Amino acid sequence: MPRYNNGIKPPSLLWRLIGVIAFVAMWQLTASLVKSSLILPSPWEAGAALLHLLRRAVFWTSVGGTILRVLEAFVISLCLGLASGSLSGFYPEVKAFMSPFITGIRATPVLALILLAMFWFPSTQVPVFSAVLMAFPVIYTSAETGVHAADQKLVQMSELFHVPTSTIFWRLRLPSALPYLFSGAKNALGLSWKVVVAGEVLAQPRMALGTGMQDARLTLETPTVFAWAITTILLCGLTEYFFGLLTTKFSSQFQQPQETPYERGEQ
Amino acid sequence: MSAAVKNLQKSFGSLHVLNDISFDLEDSSIVAILGPSGCGKTTLLNILSGIMPADAGSLAGFEGKRFSYCFQEPRLLGWLSAEDNLRFALSSLLQSNTNAITIERRIERFLRESGLFEFKEYKPNQLSGGMQKRLALARAFAFPSDILLLDEAFSSVDLRQKIDLMRAFLRLWTDEKPTVIIVSHDIHDALFLADQVVVLSQRPARVEGRLYIDLPHETRTFASAELSKYEITLYRLLGFDNLDSSF
Repeated sequence: MPRYNNGIKPPSLLWRLIGVIAFVAMWQLTASLVKSSLILPSPWEAGAALLHLLRRAVFWTSVGGTILRVLEAFVISLCLGLASGSLSGFYPEVKAFMSPFITGIRATPVLALILLAMFWFPSTQVPVFSAVLMAFPVIYTSAETGVHAADQKLVQMSELFHVPTSTIFWRLRLPSALPYLFSGAKNALGLSWKVVVAGEVLAQPRMALGTGMQDARLTLETPTVFAWAITTILLCGLTEYFFGLLTTKFSSQFQQPQETPYERGEQ
Repeated sequence: MSAAVKNLQKSFGSLHVLNDISFDLEDSSIVAILGPSGCGKTTLLNILSGIMPADAGSLAGFEGKRFSYCFQEPRLLGWLSAEDNLRFALSSLLQSNTNAITIERRIERFLRESGLFEFKEYKPNQLSGGMQKRLALARAFAFPSDILLLDEAFSSVDLRQKIDLMRAFLRLWTDEKPTVIIVSHDIHDALFLADQVVVLSQRPARVEGRLYIDLPHETRTFASAELSKYEITLYRLLGFDNLDSSF
């Protein structure tokens, strides 16, 4: 990376744009070779299907329904993961108790989980339950790691100065754990989107992106399947982006500044 | 006699670290524990502060005393400003019903005396290494204590920073004059600051000798004839018997 070492930011936006154009160009090229919109519609056909969807009320209710399910799954995973992960970090007994559950959940294929959930829950809650089970271990692990993230020398210093436990938590343990928690939460959010939509495809609840995708597949409207998929990708990307902005703003007060205004040494 | 350390012993498994350490210390005095690197000086401080127990021996006059500690490395919270680092260390005072305004005044006073008041908003990595050490020193003094422990607080800095740190130390100490125990492997830390020097041997450490320096701190300068007499005694206690021999 020696090309951008003189304070000039790499032109990442431009290269991203070039990446998108190259991807669309390859898609278009492959679609022209395949010559069947049933197997692979062109980007223009998918775009037209998306524009058509945007004009339908069912599209917006589906988007709303899926967003609510993703948020529900994410919030539940966050609460469960933070609580059990923190307890596991502090108490080895809890960690040992949780270990078989976490290993079991991690090893279970998503689809098997969704199929089982269909026996137990109404169709609207199948995607949520599946997403919670997939995203929860991610947050659990980051919370458990976060508990141990505080520098033990700083903890020892705090104890020597008899700093109250609550102050140690808010000013030392939490800021040390935040990078792990944010990274885990971001991964869990992306995972929630993928599993919720997969769950919707199989469970077919009302007002769901996955249901729209499955309906389009059943009626062999491949461009519409692509349009629903593009919508899912865009929404997932947008929520991750906004979550990133939120966490950056929140964690900026805990970060060590990069500049060193006082570099001349002692006065 | 305010406190005494009697026949302390400590081992870690088969590693015998401290072997019969005894000395006593007067109130408001500065005691330097001098010894070679790795002889168990930090272990001794950890026993005195209650971080770890001794295998044998006893401490008299340490019970119920409040300790403050200046560690070998600054141990500052990187995301807090200089003044917030002090506020963090003093937060227990709020629980002991000390007025918040009194705490704020104390923080300001110790920042001023350590020459860091202008930099109170700076975070540790915006300060130079010497300033970080001074901040750690200010924190140790700002925390009200009967006994202040300093672990190699003046090491790993260049000569100018070391002199600045020592000056800051004496300024801060003069304020409330807590009893200070300085652990160091550097003979100059002891010569310039201590009222009593306890010289330890190689591991397993035992007390090789004790030296009282009856010179006011302000008269202790480099190349002072009186100080060099003490210096020679210290070198002898440290085992450098033939000081005239060439390398």
